Amino acid sequence: MPGLILGVIGLGAAAVLWLWWKDTTAVHSLGDALTNVGRICGLLAAYGFVVLVGLMARLPPLERGVGADRLARWHAMGGRYVITLVTGHVLFITWGYAVTAHELVTHQAVTFLTSYPDILTATMAWSLLLVIAAISARAARRKVSYETWYYLHLLTYASIVLALFHQLSDGASFVTDHTARVAWMAMYAVVAGFIFWYRFVTPLRMLARHRFTVMGVREEAPGVVSVYIGGRELDKMRAEPGQFFRWRFLTKGLAWQSHPYSLSAMPQPDMVRITVKARGHHSGSMAHLQPGTRVIAEGPYGAFTPSLSGRRVLMIAGGVGITPIRAMFAALPPRVSDGITLIYRASHPRDIVFSQELDAIAADRNATLHYIIGSRAELGYDPLAPEELGALVPGLHRYEAYVCGPNGMTQAAVQSLHALGVKRRHVHHETFDF
Amino acid sequence: MRRAVLTLGGTVAGIAALVAVKYQPAPSTAALAGTIAPPTRGAMLVQGTPATPSGAGGAAGTGTKAPSGGAKPHATAKPSATVTPKPSGTRQSTATRVSTGAVESTRYGPMQVQVTLAGTRITKVTVLQETNVGGTSSQIDAMAIPKLTAEALAAQSAKIDAVSGASYTSAGYIQSLQSALDKAGA
Repeated sequence: MPGLILGVIGLGAAAVLWLWWKDTTAVHSLGDALTNVGRICGLLAAYGFVVLVGLMARLPPLERGVGADRLARWHAMGGRYVITLVTGHVLFITWGYAVTAHELVTHQAVTFLTSYPDILTATMAWSLLLVIAAISARAARRKVSYETWYYLHLLTYASIVLALFHQLSDGASFVTDHTARVAWMAMYAVVAGFIFWYRFVTPLRMLARHRFTVMGVREEAPGVVSVYIGGRELDKMRAEPGQFFRWRFLTKGLAWQSHPYSLSAMPQPDMVRITVKARGHHSGSMAHLQPGTRVIAEGPYGAFTPSLSGRRVLMIAGGVGITPIRAMFAALPPRVSDGITLIYRASHPRDIVFSQELDAIAADRNATLHYIIGSRAELGYDPLAPEELGALVPGLHRYEAYVCGPNGMTQAAVQSLHALGVKRRHVHHETFDF
Repeated sequence: MRRAVLTLGGTVAGIAALVAVKYQPAPSTAALAGTIAPPTRGAMLVQGTPATPSGAGGAAGTGTKAPSGGAKPHATAKPSATVTPKPSGTRQSTATRVSTGAVESTRYGPMQVQVTLAGTRITKVTVLQETNVGGTSSQIDAMAIPKLTAEALAAQSAKIDAVSGASYTSAGYIQSLQSALDKAGA
């Protein structure tokens, strides 16, 4: 599925290049060449924005088939790429026009700003992007809170709209080619429609149908709470074990953003449970939620769900990564019940949550449960290294493996599994770093 | 990081390759005449050159040094528009007709051209009205119109490229020219 999506995105890029190819018969001079480099950059960047926004439009096939964590990684990588393209577009177009007109680049820049339609707004869009990029850069992001970064990020929508005008009023491909113009606008309209439908209408429809309300909060471990959310017909949401919803709690300070939290148990008709570790402002506020708080939920999302292969099952959970694993552990199809192993990594005994529930499920399903507690330094070895993992769970090549935890642990476990002969398609993983 | 470098490198190489494939360093008029137009017509255009030495020679001359036509826009404008090849031995009727295109309104003002046809062959394009709001626009026109005219004469149709930097002028020019050709039934 991810390969298919990347293929479709690539085809779109090829179509954009074809548009340039079709309406450019020949490049005659240095100025022409530079201008055309700028045009290609601009066309690709404008298309790239549509793709980036589309990846975040909560399209069910993407959320289900690719997974939110991978989509977020694509979005982050793609964002850097597109900003580079936009900057290339600005520089090359200005340079190319300046060479053609035998003007200084600075003079040409002034001409653009003062005499070409909508270039001023487009320049504002570009400046906005650069500011957002600078603040979102990895180093700077540690210094700003997630909330600041998130709200700033929403400004990219403004930037995209500001930049759209100059594409239609100055873009050589669109001023003269009516069909291209209509197709281009349709592309933007379709993605805007997706955003509107899946990010605004769908959550409201779900709210009207299910009426989510906070029932209560329970502390599972220091800094880890379960939130019980009541509602109607919650089992009809067709959530699968391992999936998550994006939750928006309609209370002061939390209503403006939604966060993805996994279900830690499969929905009952009148109640679902999520389990959250305090890592920032939003997750830290979960402990103080008042019963009766209204909730808007989007979902179910997530590609991290049990496969129906019938192979033996190994689950590796790290820290609060136990949340989706807990839901999957309890809900595995009965026919694999003879070979289920769960490894639960935590750096401290007090971080272990659901131990009673896990013990009960393990006893009920005749599953093997390993708690491995302590940092690697304390243990004196790495329990997820290939040798250790292979000794703990013999015959791993016959297993279907599910890994959920912090990024570093997840990558280490996935590499060990590959080293032990578990094929890529039998390894499912999700990380919690967004 | 390595992937980022590869992606960026691939993009740079890809764009450079695309533009390089399209690159034809010859002066625009001659290049277009040679590659796009059917051989007979192209030949006629070139034959026309010595007939009006000062005009066409000037166009070709500036073309080699500044192919974009931006250097001396006014110097090239008149000559390339008045290229009138001798219709020696053409198969069709060579009655000269003049057809005036519709006035196309653009963001920068009206644009209207008149086309002169010898039979079905475009021999001349005259600009009757050009976008002329503010100094910059007429500067753009001065650069773009000779280029558009050269392209139209070479292609013998209104199916020509817009001049970069003059999207509106180009669009108005092309549409008006098309309407003139439609009217003439060419």
